[in-house]
Amino acid sequence: MSAHAQTRNPAGLIGRIRHAGGDSWSLGDKIGLASAWAAGILLCLIAASIVLYMLYRGFQYLSLEMIFSHPEAGLDQSKSGGFLDPLEGTLALTVIGTAIAAPVGVGIAVWLTEYGRPSWLARAVESGVEIVAGTPSIVLAIFGLLVFQQGFFSFLSYEATPGVAFGRSFVAAGVIMSLIALPLIVGASREALHSIPRHVREASYALGKDRISTIRRVLLPASRRGIGTGVALGMGRIVGDTAIVVVLLGATLQTDPQGNIPGLSFLQGTGSTLTTYVYNNSPVGEGGSPEKAYAAAFVLLLIVIALNFVVDMITRGRGPSWTR
Amino acid sequence: MAARGPQTAQQRDRTDQRAELALGALASAVLLLIAFMIAFVFAKAWPSFAHNGLAWFGPGGNLDEQLTAIFNSPSDPSDYVYTLHAWPLIYATALITGISVLLGTMISLLSAMFIVEFAPGWIRSILQPVVRLLAAVPSVIYGLIGILVIVPFFGNNVISGAQKESVQFVIQLDGSSILVGVLVLTVMITPIMVAISVDALRSVPPTWTEGAAALGVNRWRALRTVGLRAARPAIVAAAILSTARALGEAIMLSMVTGSVAFSPNPLDGVTFFFEPARTLAAQIVDGAEGLSVKPFGQTMYAFAALLLLSSAFLSFSGWFARRSMRKYTLSPR
Amino acid sequence: MTWNRPLAVVAALAVSASLAVPAAATAKPTITMSGSTSVAPLAALLAKKYVAGCGGCVTFKLLQGGSDVGISDVASGRVTIGNASRDPKPSDPGGLVFNKIAHDAVCIVTNKSNPLPGIDEAGVQAIFGGSVRSWSSVPGSTASGTIDTFVRTPASGTQDAFQKIFLSSTRVFSGASQKASNGLIQQSVKADPNAIGYVSLSFADGLHTVPYKGVACTERNAKSGQYGGQRNLYMVTRGPATGATKEWIKWITKSSAAAAVINTEWVSLQ
Repeated sequence: MSAHAQTRNPAGLIGRIRHAGGDSWSLGDKIGLASAWAAGILLCLIAASIVLYMLYRGFQYLSLEMIFSHPEAGLDQSKSGGFLDPLEGTLALTVIGTAIAAPVGVGIAVWLTEYGRPSWLARAVESGVEIVAGTPSIVLAIFGLLVFQQGFFSFLSYEATPGVAFGRSFVAAGVIMSLIALPLIVGASREALHSIPRHVREASYALGKDRISTIRRVLLPASRRGIGTGVALGMGRIVGDTAIVVVLLGATLQTDPQGNIPGLSFLQGTGSTLTTYVYNNSPVGEGGSPEKAYAAAFVLLLIVIALNFVVDMITRGRGPSWTR
Repeated sequence: MAARGPQTAQQRDRTDQRAELALGALASAVLLLIAFMIAFVFAKAWPSFAHNGLAWFGPGGNLDEQLTAIFNSPSDPSDYVYTLHAWPLIYATALITGISVLLGTMISLLSAMFIVEFAPGWIRSILQPVVRLLAAVPSVIYGLIGILVIVPFFGNNVISGAQKESVQFVIQLDGSSILVGVLVLTVMITPIMVAISVDALRSVPPTWTEGAAALGVNRWRALRTVGLRAARPAIVAAAILSTARALGEAIMLSMVTGSVAFSPNPLDGVTFFFEPARTLAAQIVDGAEGLSVKPFGQTMYAFAALLLLSSAFLSFSGWFARRSMRKYTLSPR
Repeated sequence: MTWNRPLAVVAALAVSASLAVPAAATAKPTITMSGSTSVAPLAALLAKKYVAGCGGCVTFKLLQGGSDVGISDVASGRVTIGNASRDPKPSDPGGLVFNKIAHDAVCIVTNKSNPLPGIDEAGVQAIFGGSVRSWSSVPGSTASGTIDTFVRTPASGTQDAFQKIFLSSTRVFSGASQKASNGLIQQSVKADPNAIGYVSLSFADGLHTVPYKGVACTERNAKSGQYGGQRNLYMVTRGPATGATKEWIKWITKSSAAAAVINTEWVSLQ
C-alpha cells in the first residue's frame, strides 16, 4: 500500500513543491483535510462500537459448544441449545445467493458496458436492476412466494398435498436473495468496467483480439477489484436480510431437510439463519434469551469478516498498469 | 482454452455475435423476471389507486385510523373500504431518505478521499474490512442498537419535559424519531457509497493528479478538483444505490422512528427532529401480518408500487446525470 | 462442447429420483403448521410433549411467517394447520375453521419506576384514547411528565383484543407509537419511565403489570376468569379437522399434559 502511495507522489515531489512555493494550503483546504480525517476515524469508531457492544452483551454465552449444538424448542431459550442450524443456514444461503448473483451480475454488467444494443433494452435492464435495489425485501419475498408456490416449481420444495407446492426452501430463498445482491454487483462491476480507459480496449482490438477475448483476458482481470467490492457488498446484503428468510425459508428453528437425497434434500428443506435467530431471541422477538442473541450476532460479524477476507483473496491484485 | 491460431475476421465476428446474444439473453431473462415482479405489484395495487384517485397522494384525515378501517372492512367485496390519504408516509419517506442521503454522501466522499489519499498505510488496511463489515451488519442489529441505546438516550436525556408537553395532545416524543432514523440510516448506507467511491477514485489515472501537482496544487485540492470530477459518474452510481437502499429499508426504520403516521412540522423548530414518523417501507413491514385481508393487502401493495415508481424515477435521473458527466472521463461510452 | 457422459447420466438419475421421491408416501403422518410468531413457541412446546407422549407417532413441521401467512397457507392447502393469534375476520378466505386452543392474558404494563396501583375502564380509555396526556392527572402514579403510549399495529391480534375488551368504542390516540411485536412494546416500556402499553402475559417480565378493575394480571387470575382481558389463540384448519390433525387438536384441548404445558405462560381452556 505504501508503494502505491509512493508512485502517486513520486519522490515526495508534491510535498516538496508545496514547501518550495510557500504554503499553498488555504484555510478551506485545511478544513477539508481535517474533515476527511474525522470521517475516516468516525467510521472506525462506529464499527468498533457495534462489534464491542455485541461482544460485551453476549460474551458469557460465547463458547464453542454454542456454535456446534442445535437450537432446541422452548420458550426459555437461555437454558438449552446453541445455534448450529442457523449458522449452517447463513452459510448455505450466502453461498447459494452469491453463486447465482455473481456470474449473472458480472454478465449483465459486461453486456451493459461492452455491448448494450439495442439501447432501449440496455436502459431498461439498468433501470430494472436499480428498481430492484429500491424494493423492500419483504415485497421481493412475497413475490418469490408467489413464484415458487406454482405447481411447476414443486420439485424445489416440499409438497403437503400433491400438486400444491410449499414454496419455501433454501433454493427459493437463495434465488430471491440473489436478486437483492444483484444491483450492488451490477453497479460496482459496471463502474469498474467503465473506469477502464478507451485506449486499453482499442489497443487490444488493434492486436487482433475479438471483443469477447478482450473482455475475458483484459477487462475482467482489470476490474477484479471493483467486482470484488460488488460481491462483498452483495454478500453483506444477503447476510443481513430477515424478511426473505422468514417468508421463504420458513424460519424453522432447525434445518428441516425434505426428501431422501442428502444434498438435494437440504436444498429443498427449510431452515433459518443467524439473522432471524438474533431477531427472535433479542429483546424484541419471541424467544427470550437476549444474551445468546448477542453471542450469535458476534459470531455473525466474525463470519462476515471471514467471507470478506475470502473475497479479497480471490480478487487480490496490484491493480491494472494504467493506474500505477 | 486451447491456443488457437490467428482467427479470420469472420470467425471473430461469429464468436462475438454468439457472445453478445448469450449475454443479451441473460440480461433479458433477468429483466423479464423483474418486469414480472413490477407487473405483479401494480396489478395487486390497482384497486387502491382506482378507488382514491389522485387524493391517494394527498393529505387528509388520520392515516392510522384509515388503515384500521380498511383492515376491518366487511366481507362483501362491494363494501370494501379503500379510503386512504398517504401523504404522511410519502412526506416521511422523502424527508428521512433525503436527509440521510445528503449526510451520507458528505461523510462517504470525505471518507473515500481519506482512504485513497491521506490515510497512513495501517489505517487504510483496517478501514477496508471495516467498511465491508458495516455493509453486512443486519438491519435488525442496527434496529436493536437503535432501540436499546439511542432511543432511550434521546428520550430520557435529550428531549426536555417542556418539549414533550408542548406537543403532547398531538403526538408523543419518546425518543424514537426521525432524528434517530436518519442517524442510523446514514450509518447503514455510508459503507456502500464509500466502497464504490474508493474504487472510483483509485481508477483515476494518476497522471491527471500529478499534472495538477505540477501546477503547484496541494494534495487535497488536486483530489477534490481533479479526482472527484473524474470519478463523478461512479459516485453518482454509488449515490443511486445508496438512495435505493435507504428507500427500501423497512425493519430498522419501523423500530426506531416511532411508527406513527405523522407529518413532522418544520415550524416546530428543534422539536421537529424529535417528532416520530413512518416511512412507506416501514408501513409495509408493519402491515405484513394483515395481507390476507384483501383491501388491506392491496393498500400495502399500493405503497410498494409507489416505492417502485420512486426507484424508477431515481434510476432515470441517475442515468441522465451520468450521461453528461462521462465527458470528463476516458470511458468507452 | 464435450460432455462427461457418465457424469451426465448420474446427474439425470439424481434429478429424476429427487422428483419421484417426494411423491412417495412416508410411513408417519406429518402435520405442517405455519403462521403466527406468537403461537409458535406454544406450538413447539406442545409438539415436543405430544411426540414424546405418543412415542413418535407423528412428525411436526413448524414454520413462521405471521398469522396472515398461516391463514392463507391453510386456505390453499399448503399446510395442515395455520396458527393465528387474531380472531376470524369477515374478509378471511372461506371454509376455514378456527379451533381455539388457548387463551392469552393481555396485561397493561408500565415501567417499573411507575408502579400504578390500579386502573379502571374509564382510566384506560382516557389514557389510550388520548384525552389524558400527563401522568400528574392519573391517580396513583409516581411519574410526572407526558404519558408515552405504546400500542400494536392494526393488523395485530393483540391490538384487536385490546380494542374489543378494554377500549370498546374509544379510538386509539392518534399519536400513540405503534410497535410491531410484543417484544418491541416490552422493550419500549422498559426503557422509558413515562411509558404505558399492553403486552401478552409472557412478556411482562421486567415491567410492572397494572391491576385492571382491581384484579391483578397474573396466571392464576387469568385461569379463574377473574381477569377480564384475555384473547384467543387459534389453530386454523380447512374444514373440520380430520385424522391425525383431529387427534392432535383434541389432545391440546382435552389432555392434562397439554394443559400443564399451556399453563406455564398462557391460559388453557380447561
